[in-house]
Amino acid sequence: MSLKRLIAVVGTMALISIGVAACGGGDDDTTAETAADTSQEAGGSGGGGSSGPVSITASVPPTDHGWLGAISKNAQAQADKYDDVDFKLLEAADADSQAQQIQQVISEKPDVLVVLPQDGESLTPVAQQAEAAGIPVVNIDRLFTQPDAATATILGDNYQIGILAADYIAEELNCKGNVVEIQGLAGISVTQERTEGFTDELKKACPDGGIEVIAQQPGDFDPAKGLTVMENILQSEDQIDAVYTHDDDMAQGVVQAIRNAGRDDEMFLTGVGGSSDAMEQIEEGGLYRATFLYNPNMAATAVTMARLLALGEGFPELVPPEVPRQIIVPAAVVTQDNVGEYKKYAFN
Amino acid sequence: MSSVGALKNRLGALEFQEYALGLVVIALFVAGSILRPETFPTWDNVRNMLTQASIIGVLAVGMTFVIATSGIDLSVGSMVAAAGVFGGILVDPSGSTLLFVLGAVGFAVLLGTINATAITFGRVVPFIATLAMFSIARGLALLLNDKLPVGLLDLNGGSFGEPAPFSLLWFGTGKVLGIPVSVWIFLGIVIGGWILLNRTRFGRYVVAVGGNREAARIAGVPVRKVIFSVYVLSGLMAGIATVLLCARLGSASPVSGNLYELDAIGAVVIGGTSLAGGRATMVGTFLGVLTFALIFSLMTQLDLSTEIQQVTKGAIVLGAVLLQRPEARY
Repeated sequence: MSLKRLIAVVGTMALISIGVAACGGGDDDTTAETAADTSQEAGGSGGGGSSGPVSITASVPPTDHGWLGAISKNAQAQADKYDDVDFKLLEAADADSQAQQIQQVISEKPDVLVVLPQDGESLTPVAQQAEAAGIPVVNIDRLFTQPDAATATILGDNYQIGILAADYIAEELNCKGNVVEIQGLAGISVTQERTEGFTDELKKACPDGGIEVIAQQPGDFDPAKGLTVMENILQSEDQIDAVYTHDDDMAQGVVQAIRNAGRDDEMFLTGVGGSSDAMEQIEEGGLYRATFLYNPNMAATAVTMARLLALGEGFPELVPPEVPRQIIVPAAVVTQDNVGEYKKYAFN
Repeated sequence: MSSVGALKNRLGALEFQEYALGLVVIALFVAGSILRPETFPTWDNVRNMLTQASIIGVLAVGMTFVIATSGIDLSVGSMVAAAGVFGGILVDPSGSTLLFVLGAVGFAVLLGTINATAITFGRVVPFIATLAMFSIARGLALLLNDKLPVGLLDLNGGSFGEPAPFSLLWFGTGKVLGIPVSVWIFLGIVIGGWILLNRTRFGRYVVAVGGNREAARIAGVPVRKVIFSVYVLSGLMAGIATVLLCARLGSASPVSGNLYELDAIGAVVIGGTSLAGGRATMVGTFLGVLTFALIFSLMTQLDLSTEIQQVTKGAIVLGAVLLQRPEARY
């Protein structure tokens, strides 16, 4: 009996390892570590001031989405540029485990903590704890709700993305036509601001009306959801002139739905983010007309800010000796005309 | 009551259940036709709904067998993601549709076999074994290609528009006799599943094992083999669903298939297959899948907001189940 069980366990393990091996395991390093790993590495870096290497720990949501993947890569790449930075990148599956992870990190006393929170609101208390423990926090992208939760902040402007999209679509359509909006994940500030900026600006850009938003549905930043939602909208609407999507990854599903329906000549589409897939399609011309760059380089700048904070220095050309409290990165419109100069910022 | 009488009662209840869910499907269709008379009751839209139902539908057929043995498979959504990415890296940068299909289906069957081994030989309860696979397969999907999706548009066998027969995109968007290939596959699998469940010894064994495992064993049913087979079958269905999904998207994403297991289980259970095992209906599963597809299509076409959609969907599902409970005795 127990022998049988042993055989079963060994057999299962063997099958799993065959599976892993068969997948050509050569996919190199995973820079990120799980929360569990942190405890083992605790105490690796003492909390030193400006002497010796500075230790920076970054905590980000799971990087299984193009833009978030670019965030962690850019942060790591920037850290690798500095000889004096001891950098550690942690991923957390959800807001709750991210909070626990940060509490763990606080006990390790890194010089600076960089946080892109799952949800700014629910991670504010733990960021305040870090600040209270004397660890400066650099906040990326999703804002904490209390001013004492971060020493420095760098974020994109989601409301402005909505504005740029509304201006672009209004101009392309001459304030006349039917627009579909495929939103991100319902119930988070990113989605809400991208929608609000779009709706508000559309009223200003076309004061006499003329553009009708005929459907507004969430696609959850997921290409498969974007595909099915767009299929249904294509069924119910016989004239669509433009589609404003909240994300380049998700937009690939929307593109597929439009192409499958053979209606790519009827409308054009815009994305958000700046993925290399999107930029290639913009360059080719056709359905994918524009994307609004939401620059993942903000992660690299966040690491630079963290290092300067740890060293007690400022940006030499930007109000030294302090590090600015808040940097807002403007979005940019990427179209066929200027895609050449933005391609170097594309991520995949 | 004689045992024959009890059996008759049971069959009667089962028929009523299928009948009642049929009414729900018709009611939803009529509602759609009244609310969007121009676009909802069209052949084009029916085709669209069937296409959208095909992926969950294929998973639900496999799930019907699993649930009939009083088991559960929580890993199908994750297996879809892992199989897609595995097939994708096999054919990236160059490869054939056949290689993708074999790779994806083979990998899903392998994962299903691991489930089956853990459950039958390791005696792990299905909930835990497949919960573990839910996590393992999702992790593999992310691990295999460094968390990136794999583009598969090169496998479309031509430019956009009508894809070449037997190219990957053909499985998602091609048509034969005016009906999408994915719908043919879905309907074929439902019919095949119906035959397997109702007209073969294997089908009778599956229901017998779910009804009373000890009695089945005494009656000479190879219980372990039957249970082993249903999890492999579920893996196979996950592999086919993967091909349909990737064919429609033109890419394999490591985050795809999220929570597909809940939709598949939901469709099976509102169809009338008992979570306790021993009672299974393929027609019910088919109607359950159609119910979900109709709800989703109707609500997006009406442009309802997410929160309203969620409340409405839940209410319709609850209503459908309440309408058809034949033997609720507490």
